[in-house]
Amino acid sequence: MDFHSALGLGLPVGIGLAAIGSGIGLGGIGNGAMQAIGRQPEATAKIQLAMIIIAALAEALTIYAFVTMFLLSPKI
Amino acid sequence: MGLEFLVRVRNTTLWLAGVGALLVASYLSPRLGLALAAGAAWSLVNLSLIERLITALTSRERVTFACRNRAALAIAGLVVLFASGAALLALLPAPWLMAGFGVPLVVMVSKAVSALLLMTGAWARLTKSPWRAALVAIAIGGLAWLAVSALPGHPSAALHAAPPAHASAATHEEQKAPGFPTVVTLLEATMPHAGWVAWVVKDEVLLFSMLIALLLCVAAYFASRNAKMIPGPLQNVVETLVEKLYDFIVGILGPRYGPRYVPFLGTLFIYILAMNLFGLIPFMHSPTASLNVTVALALTVFVYVQYTGLRELGVPGYFHHLLGSPRDVTSWLLTPLMLPIHILGELAKPISLSCRLFGNVFGEDMLLVAFATLGVMCLPVKQLPFGLPLQFPLFLGLAIFSSVLQALVFTVLSTVYILLMLPHEEHGHEGEAHPAH
Repeated sequence: MDFHSALGLGLPVGIGLAAIGSGIGLGGIGNGAMQAIGRQPEATAKIQLAMIIIAALAEALTIYAFVTMFLLSPKI
Repeated sequence: MGLEFLVRVRNTTLWLAGVGALLVASYLSPRLGLALAAGAAWSLVNLSLIERLITALTSRERVTFACRNRAALAIAGLVVLFASGAALLALLPAPWLMAGFGVPLVVMVSKAVSALLLMTGAWARLTKSPWRAALVAIAIGGLAWLAVSALPGHPSAALHAAPPAHASAATHEEQKAPGFPTVVTLLEATMPHAGWVAWVVKDEVLLFSMLIALLLCVAAYFASRNAKMIPGPLQNVVETLVEKLYDFIVGILGPRYGPRYVPFLGTLFIYILAMNLFGLIPFMHSPTASLNVTVALALTVFVYVQYTGLRELGVPGYFHHLLGSPRDVTSWLLTPLMLPIHILGELAKPISLSCRLFGNVFGEDMLLVAFATLGVMCLPVKQLPFGLPLQFPLFLGLAIFSSVLQALVFTVLSTVYILLMLPHEEHGHEGEAHPAH
Protein backbone atom coordinates (compact mmCIF):
# COMPACT_ATOMS: atom_id res chain seq x y z
CA MET A 1 0.00 0.00 0.00
CA ASP A 2 1.54 3.30 -1.01
CA PHE A 3 1.34 6.62 0.80
CA HIS A 4 -1.61 8.00 -1.16
CA SER A 5 -3.96 5.07 -0.71
CA ALA A 6 -2.99 4.76 2.95
CA LEU A 7 -3.86 8.43 3.44
CA GLY A 8 -7.07 8.07 1.43
CA LEU A 9 -8.18 5.14 3.57
CA GLY A 10 -6.98 6.60 6.84
CA LEU A 11 -8.44 10.11 6.71
CA PRO A 12 -12.17 9.20 6.72
CA VAL A 13 -11.59 6.50 9.29
CA GLY A 14 -9.70 8.96 11.49
CA ILE A 15 -12.53 11.50 11.28
CA GLY A 16 -15.01 8.79 12.15
CA LEU A 17 -13.01 7.66 15.17
CA ALA A 18 -12.70 11.23 16.41
CA ALA A 19 -16.45 11.70 15.95
CA ILE A 20 -17.19 8.52 17.90
CA GLY A 21 -15.00 9.71 20.75
CA SER A 22 -16.47 13.15 21.04
CA GLY A 23 -19.97 11.74 20.49
CA ILE A 24 -19.53 9.57 23.57
CA GLY A 25 -18.18 12.57 25.45
CA LEU A 26 -21.05 14.83 24.39
CA GLY A 27 -23.54 12.15 25.37
CA GLY A 28 -22.06 11.96 28.83
CA ILE A 29 -22.05 15.74 29.19
CA GLY A 30 -25.67 16.03 28.06
CA ASN A 31 -26.70 13.20 30.35
CA GLY A 32 -25.07 14.82 33.37
CA ALA A 33 -26.42 18.27 32.57
CA MET A 34 -29.97 17.06 32.02
CA GLN A 35 -29.96 15.11 35.28
CA ALA A 36 -28.58 18.13 37.11
CA ILE A 37 -31.24 20.40 35.60
CA GLY A 38 -33.92 17.87 36.48
CA ARG A 39 -32.74 17.83 40.07
CA GLN A 40 -32.28 21.57 40.40
CA PRO A 41 -34.30 23.42 37.77
CA GLU A 42 -33.51 26.78 39.41
CA ALA A 43 -29.80 26.39 38.57
CA THR A 44 -30.52 25.87 34.85
CA ALA A 45 -28.58 28.92 33.63
CA LYS A 46 -25.37 28.02 35.47
CA ILE A 47 -25.54 24.38 34.47
CA GLN A 48 -26.18 25.28 30.84
CA LEU A 49 -23.19 27.61 30.81
CA ALA A 50 -20.86 24.95 32.16
CA MET A 51 -22.40 22.41 29.79
CA ILE A 52 -21.77 24.62 26.77
CA ILE A 53 -18.15 25.18 27.77
CA ILE A 54 -17.42 21.51 28.29
CA ALA A 55 -19.35 20.51 25.18
CA ALA A 56 -17.25 22.96 23.17
CA LEU A 57 -14.11 21.35 24.57
CA ALA A 58 -15.30 17.85 23.69
CA GLU A 59 -16.47 18.89 20.26
CA ALA A 60 -13.20 20.67 19.51
CA LEU A 61 -11.45 17.31 19.22
CA THR A 62 -13.55 16.36 16.20
CA ILE A 63 -12.92 19.79 14.77
CA TYR A 64 -9.18 19.24 15.09
CA ALA A 65 -9.54 15.98 13.16
CA PHE A 66 -11.63 17.82 10.58
CA VAL A 67 -9.02 20.56 10.16
CA THR A 68 -6.32 17.92 9.86
CA MET A 69 -8.33 16.23 7.15
CA PHE A 70 -8.60 19.47 5.21
CA LEU A 71 -4.90 20.08 5.61
CA LEU A 72 -4.01 16.60 4.40
CA SER A 73 -6.67 15.97 1.76
CA PRO A 74 -4.80 17.81 -1.05
CA LYS A 75 -2.00 15.29 -0.62
CA ILE A 76 -4.11 12.28 -1.55
CA MET B 1 2.28 73.20 24.01
CA GLY B 2 4.18 71.89 26.96
CA LEU B 3 5.13 68.62 28.51
CA GLU B 4 1.68 67.24 27.72
CA PHE B 5 2.45 67.73 24.04
CA LEU B 6 5.65 65.70 24.44
CA VAL B 7 3.72 62.90 26.15
CA ARG B 8 1.31 62.76 23.23
CA VAL B 9 4.20 62.73 20.78
CA ARG B 10 5.74 59.86 22.70
CA ASN B 11 2.54 57.79 22.65
CA THR B 12 1.94 58.36 18.95
CA THR B 13 5.54 57.53 18.14
CA LEU B 14 5.37 54.32 20.15
CA TRP B 15 2.32 53.15 18.23
CA LEU B 16 3.56 54.30 14.85
CA ALA B 17 7.05 52.86 15.23
CA GLY B 18 5.73 49.60 16.67
CA VAL B 19 3.27 49.02 13.84
CA GLY B 20 5.80 50.17 11.24
CA ALA B 21 8.50 47.90 12.64
CA LEU B 22 6.10 44.94 12.62
CA LEU B 23 5.12 45.68 9.01
CA VAL B 24 8.73 46.03 7.90
CA ALA B 25 9.74 42.93 9.84
CA SER B 26 7.01 40.80 8.29
CA TYR B 27 7.18 42.14 4.72
CA LEU B 28 10.84 43.07 4.16
CA SER B 29 13.13 41.46 6.71
CA PRO B 30 13.21 41.06 10.51
CA ARG B 31 16.60 42.81 10.70
CA LEU B 32 15.31 45.98 9.08
CA GLY B 33 12.28 45.99 11.41
CA LEU B 34 14.59 45.65 14.37
CA ALA B 35 16.67 48.55 13.08
CA LEU B 36 13.55 50.72 12.70
CA ALA B 37 12.35 49.88 16.21
CA ALA B 38 15.82 50.44 17.68
CA GLY B 39 16.14 53.81 15.94
CA ALA B 40 12.77 54.97 17.20
CA ALA B 41 13.50 53.75 20.73
CA TRP B 42 16.88 55.49 20.70
CA SER B 43 15.29 58.72 19.57
CA LEU B 44 12.56 58.52 22.21
CA VAL B 45 15.05 57.90 25.02
CA ASN B 46 17.13 60.77 23.69
CA LEU B 47 14.13 63.11 23.71
CA SER B 48 13.06 62.12 27.21
CA LEU B 49 16.61 62.57 28.58
CA ILE B 50 16.84 66.01 27.00
CA GLU B 51 13.42 66.83 28.43
CA ARG B 52 14.64 65.82 31.89
CA LEU B 53 17.77 67.85 31.53
CA ILE B 54 15.85 70.94 30.51
CA THR B 55 13.26 70.60 33.28
CA ALA B 56 16.05 70.09 35.81
CA LEU B 57 17.96 73.14 34.58
CA THR B 58 15.02 75.49 34.18
CA SER B 59 13.05 74.60 37.32
CA ARG B 60 12.90 77.20 40.03
CA GLU B 61 14.93 75.30 42.64
CA ARG B 62 17.83 74.62 40.28
CA VAL B 63 20.35 75.44 42.96
CA THR B 64 19.37 72.52 45.19
CA PHE B 65 21.46 69.43 45.32
CA ALA B 66 18.75 67.00 44.11
CA CYS B 67 18.17 69.09 41.03
CA ARG B 68 21.84 69.22 40.08
CA ASN B 69 21.99 65.52 40.76
CA ARG B 70 19.15 64.92 38.30
CA ALA B 71 20.84 67.04 35.65
CA ALA B 72 24.09 65.14 36.11
CA LEU B 73 22.24 61.83 35.82
CA ALA B 74 20.60 62.97 32.59
CA ILE B 75 23.96 64.01 31.14
CA ALA B 76 25.49 60.66 32.10
CA GLY B 77 22.51 58.93 30.49
CA LEU B 78 23.05 60.94 27.32
CA VAL B 79 26.69 59.87 27.18
CA VAL B 80 25.74 56.20 27.59
CA LEU B 81 23.03 56.70 24.98
CA PHE B 82 25.43 58.11 22.40
CA ALA B 83 27.83 55.24 23.01
CA SER B 84 25.03 52.73 22.47
CA GLY B 85 23.98 54.67 19.36
CA ALA B 86 27.45 54.18 17.90
CA ALA B 87 27.24 50.46 18.66
CA LEU B 88 23.80 50.26 17.01
CA LEU B 89 25.08 52.04 13.92
CA ALA B 90 27.83 49.46 13.62
CA LEU B 91 25.44 46.52 14.12
CA LEU B 92 22.29 47.40 12.18
CA PRO B 93 21.69 48.91 8.71
CA ALA B 94 22.09 52.65 9.05
CA PRO B 95 19.30 53.96 6.72
CA TRP B 96 16.61 52.16 8.65
CA LEU B 97 18.07 53.29 11.96
CA MET B 98 17.92 56.85 10.67
CA ALA B 99 14.32 56.30 9.53
CA GLY B 100 13.42 55.12 13.02
CA PHE B 101 15.29 58.07 14.48
CA GLY B 102 13.25 60.42 12.34
CA VAL B 103 9.84 59.02 13.37
CA PRO B 104 9.41 61.13 16.55
CA LEU B 105 10.57 64.26 14.74
CA VAL B 106 8.08 63.65 11.93
CA VAL B 107 5.34 63.02 14.47
CA MET B 108 6.23 66.21 16.29
CA VAL B 109 6.18 68.32 13.15
CA SER B 110 2.94 66.81 11.85
CA LYS B 111 1.27 67.23 15.23
CA ALA B 112 2.30 70.87 15.37
CA VAL B 113 1.12 71.45 11.80
CA SER B 114 -2.23 69.78 12.45
CA ALA B 115 -2.66 71.81 15.65
CA LEU B 116 -2.08 74.99 13.64
CA LEU B 117 -4.44 73.76 10.94
CA LEU B 118 -7.18 72.96 13.45
CA MET B 119 -7.08 76.52 14.78
CA THR B 120 -7.69 78.19 11.43
CA GLY B 121 -11.11 79.43 10.38
CA ALA B 122 -11.17 77.46 7.12
CA TRP B 123 -11.08 74.19 9.03
CA ALA B 124 -13.96 75.23 11.28
CA ARG B 125 -16.04 76.23 8.23
CA LEU B 126 -15.22 72.91 6.59
CA THR B 127 -16.25 70.74 9.51
CA LYS B 128 -19.41 72.64 10.36
CA SER B 129 -21.51 70.47 8.05
CA PRO B 130 -20.85 66.72 8.31
CA TRP B 131 -21.63 66.15 4.63
CA ARG B 132 -19.01 68.61 3.48
CA ALA B 133 -16.48 67.07 5.85
CA ALA B 134 -17.28 63.57 4.54
CA LEU B 135 -16.87 64.79 0.96
CA VAL B 136 -13.49 66.29 1.74
CA ALA B 137 -12.38 63.11 3.53
CA ILE B 138 -13.41 61.01 0.53
CA ALA B 139 -11.57 63.37 -1.82
CA ILE B 140 -8.39 63.20 0.28
CA GLY B 141 -8.63 59.40 0.47
CA GLY B 142 -9.12 59.16 -3.30
CA LEU B 143 -6.15 61.42 -3.98
CA ALA B 144 -3.97 59.37 -1.65
CA TRP B 145 -5.13 56.18 -3.37
CA LEU B 146 -4.25 57.58 -6.79
CA ALA B 147 -0.88 58.82 -5.57
CA VAL B 148 0.00 55.45 -4.05
CA SER B 149 -1.02 53.49 -7.14
CA ALA B 150 0.91 55.90 -9.39
CA LEU B 151 4.14 55.26 -7.48
CA PRO B 152 6.48 52.98 -9.47
CA GLY B 153 7.67 50.90 -6.54
CA HIS B 154 4.17 50.33 -5.26
CA PRO B 155 4.34 47.86 -2.33
CA SER B 156 1.60 45.49 -3.51
CA ALA B 157 3.30 45.22 -6.92
CA ALA B 158 6.52 44.32 -5.11
CA LEU B 159 4.64 41.68 -3.17
CA HIS B 160 3.24 40.20 -6.35
CA ALA B 161 6.69 40.08 -7.89
CA ALA B 162 8.23 38.26 -4.92
CA PRO B 163 8.74 34.72 -6.28
CA PRO B 164 7.95 32.47 -3.27
CA ALA B 165 4.73 34.25 -2.36
CA HIS B 166 3.63 34.25 -5.98
CA ALA B 167 4.33 30.56 -6.46
CA SER B 168 2.47 29.53 -3.34
CA ALA B 169 -0.48 31.79 -4.28
CA ALA B 170 -0.63 30.19 -7.74
CA THR B 171 -0.62 26.64 -6.39
CA HIS B 172 -3.16 27.66 -3.81
CA GLU B 173 -5.51 29.04 -6.43
CA GLU B 174 -5.33 25.92 -8.54
CA GLN B 175 -6.55 23.69 -5.76
CA LYS B 176 -8.94 26.17 -4.22
CA ALA B 177 -11.58 24.60 -2.03
CA PRO B 178 -15.05 24.50 -3.58
CA GLY B 179 -17.47 27.10 -2.37
CA PHE B 180 -20.47 29.20 -3.23
CA PRO B 181 -19.77 32.08 -5.58
CA THR B 182 -19.22 35.36 -3.79
CA VAL B 183 -19.15 38.92 -5.01
CA VAL B 184 -15.40 38.62 -5.26
CA THR B 185 -15.35 35.48 -7.40
CA LEU B 186 -17.96 37.04 -9.66
CA LEU B 187 -15.75 40.11 -10.06
CA GLU B 188 -12.81 37.87 -10.82
CA ALA B 189 -14.81 35.99 -13.44
CA THR B 190 -16.05 39.15 -15.17
CA MET B 191 -12.77 41.11 -15.06
CA PRO B 192 -9.94 38.60 -14.77
CA HIS B 193 -7.11 40.95 -15.71
CA ALA B 194 -7.80 44.19 -13.85
CA GLY B 195 -5.14 44.94 -11.27
CA TRP B 196 -7.45 46.03 -8.52
CA VAL B 197 -9.52 42.85 -8.89
CA ALA B 198 -6.40 40.78 -8.18
CA TRP B 199 -5.91 42.85 -5.06
CA VAL B 200 -9.54 42.32 -4.04
CA VAL B 201 -9.25 38.57 -4.57
CA LYS B 202 -6.09 38.40 -2.50
CA ASP B 203 -7.61 40.32 0.39
CA GLU B 204 -11.15 38.98 0.08
CA VAL B 205 -11.39 37.96 3.71
CA LEU B 206 -9.99 41.25 4.91
CA LEU B 207 -12.45 43.14 2.75
CA PHE B 208 -15.45 41.22 4.06
CA SER B 209 -14.41 41.56 7.69
CA MET B 210 -13.91 45.30 7.28
CA LEU B 211 -17.28 45.59 5.58
CA ILE B 212 -18.87 43.82 8.54
CA ALA B 213 -17.09 46.07 11.02
CA LEU B 214 -18.30 49.08 9.05
CA LEU B 215 -21.88 47.79 9.03
CA LEU B 216 -21.75 47.23 12.80
CA CYS B 217 -20.39 50.74 13.30
CA VAL B 218 -23.19 52.23 11.21
CA ALA B 219 -25.80 50.19 13.08
CA ALA B 220 -24.36 51.28 16.43
CA TYR B 221 -24.30 54.90 15.30
CA PHE B 222 -27.92 54.91 14.19
CA ALA B 223 -29.04 52.99 17.29
CA SER B 224 -27.35 55.29 19.77
CA ARG B 225 -28.01 58.58 17.97
CA ASN B 226 -30.76 60.48 19.77
CA ALA B 227 -31.61 57.65 22.16
CA LYS B 228 -35.11 58.00 23.53
CA MET B 229 -36.85 56.94 26.70
CA ILE B 230 -39.31 54.95 24.62
CA PRO B 231 -36.97 53.29 22.13
CA GLY B 232 -37.54 52.73 18.45
CA PRO B 233 -37.13 49.26 16.96
CA LEU B 234 -33.39 49.45 16.28
CA GLN B 235 -32.55 50.97 19.65
CA ASN B 236 -34.74 48.36 21.30
CA VAL B 237 -32.92 45.44 19.69
CA VAL B 238 -29.47 46.84 20.41
CA GLU B 239 -30.31 47.71 23.99
CA THR B 240 -31.69 44.24 24.66
CA LEU B 241 -28.57 42.66 23.19
CA VAL B 242 -26.23 44.84 25.21
CA GLU B 243 -28.17 44.29 28.42
CA LYS B 244 -28.20 40.51 27.97
CA LEU B 245 -24.47 40.50 27.23
CA TYR B 246 -23.79 42.70 30.26
CA ASP B 247 -25.78 40.45 32.58
CA PHE B 248 -24.16 37.36 31.13
CA ILE B 249 -20.55 38.55 31.43
CA VAL B 250 -21.01 40.18 34.83
CA GLY B 251 -22.68 36.94 35.96
CA ILE B 252 -19.47 35.06 35.18
CA LEU B 253 -16.82 37.60 36.20
CA GLY B 254 -18.65 39.00 39.19
CA PRO B 255 -19.82 42.57 39.83
CA ARG B 256 -16.38 43.83 40.84
CA TYR B 257 -14.38 42.99 37.72
CA GLY B 258 -17.17 42.30 35.24
CA PRO B 259 -18.15 45.76 33.93
CA ARG B 260 -14.62 46.57 32.81
CA TYR B 261 -14.50 43.60 30.42
CA VAL B 262 -18.01 43.91 28.98
CA PRO B 263 -17.05 46.18 26.05
CA PHE B 264 -14.26 43.92 24.81
CA LEU B 265 -16.09 40.62 25.22
CA GLY B 266 -19.41 41.97 24.00
CA THR B 267 -17.78 43.40 20.88
CA LEU B 268 -16.10 40.07 20.32
CA PHE B 269 -19.44 38.27 20.49
CA ILE B 270 -21.29 40.65 18.19
CA TYR B 271 -18.44 40.80 15.67
CA ILE B 272 -17.97 37.02 15.51
CA LEU B 273 -21.71 36.43 15.30
CA ALA B 274 -22.00 38.91 12.42
CA MET B 275 -19.05 37.33 10.63
CA ASN B 276 -20.44 33.81 11.06
CA LEU B 277 -23.89 34.76 9.81
CA PHE B 278 -22.56 36.86 6.94
CA GLY B 279 -21.69 33.73 4.96
CA LEU B 280 -25.35 32.72 4.83
CA ILE B 281 -26.26 35.80 2.77
CA PRO B 282 -26.09 34.89 -0.92
CA PHE B 283 -22.89 36.09 -2.64
CA MET B 284 -21.24 36.83 0.68
CA HIS B 285 -18.54 34.95 2.51
CA SER B 286 -17.84 34.29 6.20
CA PRO B 287 -14.47 35.79 7.11
CA THR B 288 -14.31 33.34 10.03
CA ALA B 289 -14.15 30.46 7.51
CA SER B 290 -10.52 31.49 7.05
CA LEU B 291 -7.91 30.52 9.60
CA ASN B 292 -6.23 33.94 9.31
CA VAL B 293 -9.18 35.80 10.82
CA THR B 294 -9.76 33.35 13.66
CA VAL B 295 -6.07 33.26 14.55
CA ALA B 296 -6.06 37.05 14.65
CA LEU B 297 -9.08 37.07 16.97
CA ALA B 298 -7.60 34.37 19.20
CA LEU B 299 -4.25 36.18 19.40
CA THR B 300 -6.07 39.36 20.41
CA VAL B 301 -7.75 37.46 23.23
CA PHE B 302 -4.44 35.84 24.21
CA VAL B 303 -2.58 39.15 24.47
CA TYR B 304 -5.48 40.75 26.30
CA VAL B 305 -5.65 37.90 28.81
CA GLN B 306 -1.90 38.09 29.51
CA TYR B 307 -2.15 41.87 29.85
CA THR B 308 -5.07 41.47 32.24
CA GLY B 309 -3.05 39.04 34.32
CA LEU B 310 -0.09 41.41 34.47
CA ARG B 311 -2.28 44.35 35.37
CA GLU B 312 -4.52 42.71 37.95
CA LEU B 313 -1.96 40.43 39.61
CA GLY B 314 1.18 42.51 39.14
CA VAL B 315 4.38 41.03 37.78
CA PRO B 316 5.19 38.87 40.86
CA GLY B 317 1.58 37.74 41.14
CA TYR B 318 1.54 36.83 37.45
CA PHE B 319 4.57 34.58 37.82
CA HIS B 320 3.13 33.18 41.03
CA HIS B 321 0.04 32.29 39.01
CA LEU B 322 2.19 30.70 36.31
CA LEU B 323 3.88 28.60 38.98
CA GLY B 324 0.47 27.21 39.93
CA SER B 325 -0.18 29.56 42.90
CA PRO B 326 1.91 27.58 45.41
CA ARG B 327 0.98 28.06 49.07
CA ASP B 328 2.72 25.35 51.09
CA VAL B 329 5.93 23.32 50.86
CA THR B 330 4.59 20.52 48.68
CA SER B 331 3.20 22.85 46.06
CA TRP B 332 6.45 24.86 46.06
CA LEU B 333 8.29 21.61 45.41
CA LEU B 334 5.95 20.88 42.52
CA THR B 335 6.57 24.22 40.77
CA PRO B 336 9.19 22.90 38.29
CA LEU B 337 6.46 20.58 37.06
CA MET B 338 3.68 23.16 37.11
CA LEU B 339 5.49 25.92 35.23
CA PRO B 340 5.79 24.14 31.85
CA ILE B 341 2.26 22.82 32.19
CA HIS B 342 0.87 26.31 32.80
CA ILE B 343 2.91 27.84 29.98
CA LEU B 344 1.78 25.12 27.57
CA GLY B 345 -1.78 25.62 28.73
CA GLU B 346 -1.59 29.35 28.03
CA LEU B 347 -0.14 28.71 24.58
CA ALA B 348 -2.74 26.06 23.77
CA LYS B 349 -5.58 28.53 24.40
CA PRO B 350 -5.26 30.60 21.20
CA ILE B 351 -4.69 27.48 19.10
CA SER B 352 -7.79 25.74 20.37
CA LEU B 353 -9.90 28.93 20.17
CA SER B 354 -8.92 29.68 16.58
CA CYS B 355 -9.12 26.08 15.30
CA ARG B 356 -12.51 25.55 16.88
CA LEU B 357 -14.08 28.63 15.34
CA PHE B 358 -12.45 28.07 11.96
CA GLY B 359 -13.35 24.37 11.83
CA ASN B 360 -16.97 24.92 12.75
CA VAL B 361 -17.67 27.77 10.36
CA PHE B 362 -15.68 26.24 7.52
CA GLY B 363 -17.29 22.83 8.06
CA GLU B 364 -20.73 24.41 8.07
CA ASP B 365 -19.99 26.16 4.76
CA MET B 366 -18.67 22.95 3.24
CA LEU B 367 -21.79 21.09 4.39
CA LEU B 368 -24.03 23.64 2.69
CA VAL B 369 -21.92 23.49 -0.48
CA ALA B 370 -22.02 19.69 -0.51
CA PHE B 371 -25.79 19.56 -0.17
CA ALA B 372 -26.39 22.31 -2.72
CA THR B 373 -24.21 20.40 -5.19
CA LEU B 374 -26.14 17.24 -4.42
CA GLY B 375 -29.38 19.11 -5.04
CA VAL B 376 -28.15 20.17 -8.47
CA MET B 377 -26.83 16.72 -9.36
CA CYS B 378 -29.83 14.67 -8.33
CA LEU B 379 -32.15 16.32 -10.88
CA PRO B 380 -32.68 13.99 -13.82
CA VAL B 381 -32.14 16.71 -16.42
CA LYS B 382 -28.69 18.26 -16.23
CA GLN B 383 -27.82 21.80 -17.36
CA LEU B 384 -30.59 23.38 -15.34
CA PRO B 385 -29.74 26.72 -13.78
CA PHE B 386 -31.19 25.62 -10.43
CA GLY B 387 -31.30 22.57 -8.21
CA LEU B 388 -33.43 21.06 -5.47
CA PRO B 389 -32.94 23.19 -2.38
CA LEU B 390 -31.77 20.23 -0.31
CA GLN B 391 -29.73 22.42 2.01
CA PHE B 392 -32.56 24.76 2.75
CA PRO B 393 -34.62 23.79 5.77
CA LEU B 394 -32.46 21.58 7.92
CA PHE B 395 -28.88 22.53 7.26
CA LEU B 396 -29.46 26.24 7.02
CA GLY B 397 -31.13 26.11 10.42
CA LEU B 398 -28.24 24.05 11.71
CA ALA B 399 -25.80 26.61 10.33
CA ILE B 400 -27.60 29.50 12.03
CA PHE B 401 -27.71 27.62 15.32
CA SER B 402 -24.08 26.65 15.11
CA SER B 403 -23.02 30.20 14.19
CA VAL B 404 -24.66 31.59 17.31
CA LEU B 405 -23.31 28.75 19.42
CA GLN B 406 -19.73 29.18 18.22
CA ALA B 407 -19.79 32.94 18.78
CA LEU B 408 -21.12 32.24 22.28
CA VAL B 409 -18.49 29.58 22.93
CA PHE B 410 -15.67 31.87 21.81
CA THR B 411 -16.93 34.63 24.09
CA VAL B 412 -17.54 32.33 27.05
CA LEU B 413 -14.10 30.77 26.77
CA SER B 414 -12.46 34.19 26.53
CA THR B 415 -14.40 35.25 29.62
CA VAL B 416 -13.28 32.14 31.47
CA TYR B 417 -9.66 32.79 30.50
CA ILE B 418 -9.93 36.31 31.89
CA LEU B 419 -11.62 34.91 35.00
CA LEU B 420 -8.73 32.52 35.55
CA MET B 421 -6.31 35.45 35.40
CA LEU B 422 -8.20 37.58 37.92
CA PRO B 423 -7.22 37.38 41.58
CA HIS B 424 -9.56 34.69 42.87
CA GLU B 425 -9.54 34.73 46.64
CA GLU B 426 -13.30 34.42 46.78
CA HIS B 427 -13.38 31.59 44.26
CA GLY B 428 -10.73 29.57 46.07
CA HIS B 429 -9.61 26.73 43.85
CA GLU B 430 -12.87 26.45 41.97
CA GLY B 431 -11.32 28.63 39.30
CA GLU B 432 -8.48 26.20 38.91
CA ALA B 433 -10.85 23.27 38.58
CA HIS B 434 -12.51 25.03 35.66
CA PRO B 435 -11.42 23.75 32.25
CA ALA B 436 -8.20 25.45 31.30
CA HIS B 437 -8.58 25.06 27.54
